[in-house]
Formats: sequence, structure tokens, C-alpha cells
Amino acid sequence: MLEIEKLNYAYPDGHQAIRDINLKIEEGESIALVGANGAGKSSLFKLIIGISEIKEGSIKVEELSVGKKTLKDIRRKVGMVFQNPDDQLFMTKVYDDIAFGPRNELLTEEEVETRVVNALEQLGITHLRDRMPHRLSGGEKRVIAIASVLAMNPRVILFDEPTSFLDPQARRNVINTLDSLKMTKIIATHDLDMALDICDRVIILHHGSVFADGTVKDILLDENLLSQCHLELPLCMQKPRVR
Amino acid sequence: MSTITDSMNTINSLEEMAEGDTIIHRLHPMVKLITTMLYLVLVISFNPYNITGLMVFAFYPVILMALAEIPYKPLLKRLLVALPFSFFAGLSNIIFNQQLALMIGPMPVSYGFISFTSIMVKTIFTVMAVLILIATTSLPKISYQLLSIKVPKIIVEQIMLTYRYISVLLEQVSNMYTAYILRAPASKGIKMKDMGIFVGQLLLKSFDRAESIYVAMKCRGYDGNYLYAKPSPIQKGDWLFLVLVSGILCLMRFFDLSLFIGSFL
Amino acid sequence: MHMADALVSPAVGGIMLAASAGAIAYSAYKCKDDLDEKKIPLMGVMGAVIFAGQMINFTIPGTGSSGHIGGGILLAALLGPFPAFLTLTAVLLIQALFFADGGLLALGANIWNLGFYACLLVYPFVFKPIVKKALTPTRISVASVVSVILALTLGAISVVIQTLASGITELPMATFMGMMIPIHLAIGLVEGIVTGGILVFIYKMRPELLESSMDNKKLPKNLSIQKVLGVLLVFAIVVGGGLSLLASSNPDGLEWSMENVAGTAELETSGNAYDSAANIQESTAFLPDYGFKSTDGEGSAAGTSVSGIIGAGITLVLAGGTGYLIYAVKRRKEKTA
Ligand SMILES: Nc1ncnc2c1ncn2[C@@H]1O[C@H](COP(=O)(O)OP(=O)(O)OP(=O)(O)O)[C@@H](O)[C@H]1O
Ligand SMILES: [Mg+2]
Repeated sequence: MLEIEKLNYAYPDGHQAIRDINLKIEEGESIALVGANGAGKSSLFKLIIGISEIKEGSIKVEELSVGKKTLKDIRRKVGMVFQNPDDQLFMTKVYDDIAFGPRNELLTEEEVETRVVNALEQLGITHLRDRMPHRLSGGEKRVIAIASVLAMNPRVILFDEPTSFLDPQARRNVINTLDSLKMTKIIATHDLDMALDICDRVIILHHGSVFADGTVKDILLDENLLSQCHLELPLCMQKPRVR
Repeated sequence: MSTITDSMNTINSLEEMAEGDTIIHRLHPMVKLITTMLYLVLVISFNPYNITGLMVFAFYPVILMALAEIPYKPLLKRLLVALPFSFFAGLSNIIFNQQLALMIGPMPVSYGFISFTSIMVKTIFTVMAVLILIATTSLPKISYQLLSIKVPKIIVEQIMLTYRYISVLLEQVSNMYTAYILRAPASKGIKMKDMGIFVGQLLLKSFDRAESIYVAMKCRGYDGNYLYAKPSPIQKGDWLFLVLVSGILCLMRFFDLSLFIGSFL
Repeated sequence: MHMADALVSPAVGGIMLAASAGAIAYSAYKCKDDLDEKKIPLMGVMGAVIFAGQMINFTIPGTGSSGHIGGGILLAALLGPFPAFLTLTAVLLIQALFFADGGLLALGANIWNLGFYACLLVYPFVFKPIVKKALTPTRISVASVVSVILALTLGAISVVIQTLASGITELPMATFMGMMIPIHLAIGLVEGIVTGGILVFIYKMRPELLESSMDNKKLPKNLSIQKVLGVLLVFAIVVGGGLSLLASSNPDGLEWSMENVAGTAELETSGNAYDSAANIQESTAFLPDYGFKSTDGEGSAAGTSVSGIIGAGITLVLAGGTGYLIYAVKRRKEKTA
């Protein structure tokens, strides 16, 4: 359902962030996109949702290729949860924030409410409905950011570091939430334990190109491969080093 | 930095109060806005020498605070911050108008002193009224109402967005400030020559943040419309409150309770 | 410096609200025409930046005192005049509500004094012409200092005029001006230097941020410095003159209209003592025009009799008692419930 062909991208300052990426992603897959800082994960996401303009190669979502003319439809199919929820939650009430997308689709207020309520219920956060985003904890904000994307009924969701800055419990909460979502997911992350938990396929980016692509077992347990691109075995696979 | 922590606390405590659920909280925001404005106009319309007529206006803040269950301490604290400016404005009256107005027993009271008192009382009343408004009505609710009195949408959008990001920015500033002070322990604040870089950095980061927000909006179908507003209609009970309170306030303006009570003495 | 509700009269507050509302409506109209949708979130974030930025205290060398930034000119240079004015309006409203900085009736005055001059007058007619020829660090600094000083001074003059026109303080005009203007010249100098520093930094890091707001508006051609001064002068005269005229002829709109409507000039007055007191007051006032309007017919002096004051005390106690009673009843209800 998502096809990337011969994708290259350089930022205006000339920095080559994506080099010749070819990928094919099937409906319902749960994919971990890993790689060191600066490997190009966020850059790839920006290309998929059309924030950065594609100059070389192509990206297709369900046969619709990403480009200026298709942006509206692409963004209806592809949702993205930003790394910093403060960037994503810009309304003064949780309800209004989740309703922002549906309202822009010009649904009636009843339809909007159904969407919002569904999203809240699906994530089990109905109690946060009337709160103000700026008075919520980081974990709560993260889940609401996910709800705001869910309310748009996307076919694919891109997550940029969904577990960063969270305490262990909030992290677990977000992981469970992610696991409960059945649509296609691409999760950019440094949290390999999470990848081990909820993903079935891992793609390693290194200096802007695909370095490895395979099942969780094949990749996340291969110490050699991981260390070649500044990564480590998931913590739960490492020998405990208690002093 | 204490001012930053202070203002975060102020905003937080007022927001917490606004989350209450009393008759006053449940009133339609427009009704509260109108009565507050009316109260303000009536209070400041008293001439500077009439402090007895003014006193009856104490009923309004006191009753509202009780009905809304607003704790008085944080409000009083806020009031103290607001008073000094009026105090100095009023002080000049004591100095410049020493005309004798009356004697309380052996103590002479000048017109300047009376008008000084009047300024202070008015300050207390007006500040209380505004604080009560915001302590019983959240800012987004108030700003939505502005739409129904034809305030341009772009202003309301700005109020909402600014309000949303104040706490984020306050935190950011306070972190940057701490980082600065830790590396310049001897200095009492940011050095003036460093302000360009300090605020400049803050601005650059904020430009990037605004860019991300814009992208996040775009991802959810934004095309220039931030607000889809629909201020809720005014209910019967709200009308009743409005008419009743406005009526009483106007009566209070003409009826000097203090003099009435005083006439029995 | 923010005007407070208690320091304006209903007439002055109303006029300034109307004036600012006009400026806001015009700015909103201008923005509708040529505002990039991208600017909506940018303005919001910048509003929050100014809000937070004003809380940064910096030390002023050689004085031991500290200052903080204002924001009007800074915002205008980054966003353009009209968006800047709207942004500042939002900030002032939030400050008025949460911090009792100024108030709701004085909001119009504050928007005018702190926003209008900086964003809509000084920026387009002084700042822009200076940097128009060439956007260089020197020109940016000079423009910032001159503009901030000018904007602050205009604001300070307005504060004086509005306060005096409101008839709240008895400070003579000359003394008041003499206090306010030098202070604001000094503050303006410091704030202008800092504003310049910030803008120069931005210019060095991301020049496109400044330039984009520079050229989104066409400037009138051949704008000479005389014209600039002329504009300022006319504005000052119109605003100042208009207000004081209103102040002296119809000092207190509401009080005056009440008299007309109710015909109750002597509603609660009992006469002579008050009249003579008022006369003495009139004749000894430093500035009779701006003196207190004790001839309005309200029972001012008569009101402040000893019994009246005791009555006032009792009124206060009654009010407090009522509040306490409501608290008590509510608490009992909660207990039984
Ligand atoms: N706006 C930009 N302009 C120029 N270069 C950029 C820009 N954004 C990112 N880059 C560069 O592109 C490369 C890829 O960055 P990207 O943000 O995609 O990495 P990432 O894999 O998401 O890293 P992280 O794990 O730190 O989030 C980096 O070398 C970065 O310096
Ligand atoms: Mg990234």
C-alpha cells in the first residue's frame, strides 16, 4: 500500500538526507524505522506527508503518488504523530484539538463529535475530553496527539519517536496504545525494546539509505549488524551488568 | 526566575479556579462579561469625592466570590501586585489637594485624602471584578464570546494560540534563563549586551516551532481556518441573572446605602 | 506602562476602546487581504514569546537597575505592522485578564499606547524608511533605537493625557509630563538598544525573516523626514487635543448622561456646605480644567460626612457578612448532602 521508489532528497542547503531508498510496505504491517541520530528518519517522514517536496524518485500511497496536487488526499490517508506533542496540539481544549481535522473535512458537528468520541474511547482517554492540553502530562499529551490523528481515520500512521521523554509507565501506556491500533504503522524510534514488542518488521536507515530490512528477529538480534550503524541490542537482550 | 514562576503559578491557579462547577461557573460567559463590564463602568463613574456611595459596590465581588467558592487568598495576593501603581497615582492627590473636607473627631481629612481613598477602593473593586471573571470563566470561553460581539476572528485566534503557547514559552524561557545563570553565577540577570542573542535565540527557536505547528495543522487539513466557532446560546436562567444583576447594579449606583445607614446614627 | 481601570473615566476608557477597536478592525481587514495562512500560527507563537520575553530581566550596566523588553517594534519588524498590532492586542488582553495588568475598560487605552504607536505609526513611518535604503546592522540598530524611543514617548504622553482627561489625579500636567517623558526617554534608549541587538542577531542568522516583513508592503514614495514628523505631530494634536477637549466640556460621560436621563442632579445631595467646598476647590485647583468635577451634582462632599463614613464602614461589614453567610450556608448544604 506504500511504495517508495528511487527516492533521493537533499535539503536546500545541499545536505543529502535521503539516498536512493526503495521500499514496499503492505497493508497492516507494523514497521520500526530505526537508525542513529541524523540517519534520515524524520526526513523520510516529511517526504511521505509532503512537507518536503519530492524532487527525485516517487512515493505512492495506495496508488496515489505524493505530489502538490494530491496533498489533500494523501494527508487524509496518511497521519503523522509528531515527536513534540506541543507542536501538534495547538488548540486550547482537547476536544477542539481532536476535532480540528474532522472539522477541516467540513463534517457536520454531530459527525465531528462521533469521530472525537470514537478516538477518545479507542484510546481510553474519555476523561481528558474537556481538559486543556497545556495542563496535561507529557504522556497524556502524547496519547491525545495520537487521538488527534486517529480522528481523521487514516490508513497509515507515521510515528516520530513516540516514546521519547516518557517515564516508564507512560511509555508502557503509549506502547499498548500503539499495539492496539490495527492500521498500517511506521514507527521511527530509538526504542528497540518497543520495536521488539510491537513491530513485525524493522528497517534500518544509515546515512540516508536503507541499510537493512527484515523481520524483527533477523535484525534486532544481530549484534554485529546493529553496531555497524551505531545501534545496540535491545536492553532486554543484553546481559545484565549489575555491579 | 521568580517573575516567571510567579506568572506560571498565577495562570495555573486561576485556571484551576475556572474549572470549578458552581452557579457562577455555569452562567453563560457572555452574561458574565456584560455584568463585569457594567460593574466596571458604574464603579469608575463615581466622582473622586464620593466614597460612601461607592461602598455598596463591595457586595458584588464578595457575593460572587462566595457563590463561586473562590478562595480569597490568591485573589488578594494578585490585588496586592496591582495596588502600588494606583497608590502612587493617588498619593499625588494627597500632596496636591490639602483642602480640608471634614473632621473626624479631632482628625482633619483633606479632599486629597478622600480622592486617594476613592482611587484605592476603585482599584480594589475593578481588579476583583476582572479576576472573578477569569476565575469563573476560562479564557477560551471568554474569547469565543468575543466572536459574537463581532470581534474579528483573527484576534480571537491570536488570543487562543498565544494562550496555548504561553506556558510552553514560559518554561522554555525559564530553562534558558537557568542555563544562563548557571554559567554566570555572579550576574543578577541577563547582561544587557547578551539580550540580543538570548531573545534572538528564543525567537529563532520559536520560528521553527511555529513552522512545525503549521505543518502539524497542514497535516490535518488546515487551510487558513483555525476556529470553527459556535458560541452556545444564552439560556433563560442566564437572562434572568443578567437582568437581575444589571438592575441591582444600576440601583446601587443611585442609592447611597452608606448615607442611608449613616442617617440613622 | 499600563493604565488601570481605576485611573480612567468611563468617557476616556470608552473613547480609547473605540479608537483601538477601529485600529483593530482596520488591521484585521488588511490582514484578510494579504495574510499568508502560515502567519496565523506564527503570530500566536510570537505573542507567547513576547509574553514570556517581557519577564526576562536584564541588567543595565552602570545603573544597578534592570529592564525588560517592550515588544511593539520588535513584533512589527518580524511580522509586519498589522499582524504585529493584532498579536500585541491579544497579549494585552491576556495580561489584563490574568495579571490585572491594566484592566478591561482601560484595555483600549493600553492597546493604543503600547500597540498603536509602535506598530501602526512609528514602524511604518520611521523604522521602515530608515532601513529601506539598505538593510544593514547599523541601520537596523539606529532604526530600533529611534523607533522605540519615539513609540514609548508617544505612549507616555498619551498616558498623561488620558489620566488627566479622566480627572483622577491632581498632578499638574507640567509636573506629570516632566516626570513621564524623561523616564520614558531613558527606558526607550535602553529598550531600543536591546531591540536593535535582537534584530541584528536575527538578521545575521536568518536574514529572510526580517526581509519578508519588510517588503510585503509598499511604502509611500519620497517619504521625507518632515513628512514623518508632520504625521506624528498631527496625530499627537488630534489625540491629545480631542481628548482634553472632551474631558473639559463633558468630563464624565456617564455621570452626565445619568443626570440628563434621570434629572436627579441633587438626588442625594443636601446642599450648601458642599457647594462652597466645591467653589473653594475650583478656585484653588492647580489646573481648573482638569480639576475634579465636584459640580456634577452628585453628593460628593455632603456624602463624606462623618456619619456617611461610619455608614460606609457598616456597609462594608454587611457585604463581608453576606459573603460569609453564603459560604456558611454552602458548607452546611455540602455536609448534609
Ligand atoms: N531543515 C534541514 N536543513 C538541512 N539539513 C537538515 C534539515 N533537517 C535535517 N537535516 C539533516 O538531514 C539529516 C537527517 O536528519 P533527520 O532529522 O531526518 O534525522 P533523524 O533520523 O530523524 O534523526 P533523529 O534520530 O536525531 O531524530 C541530518 O544529517 C540533518 O542534519
Ligand atoms: Mg528525527
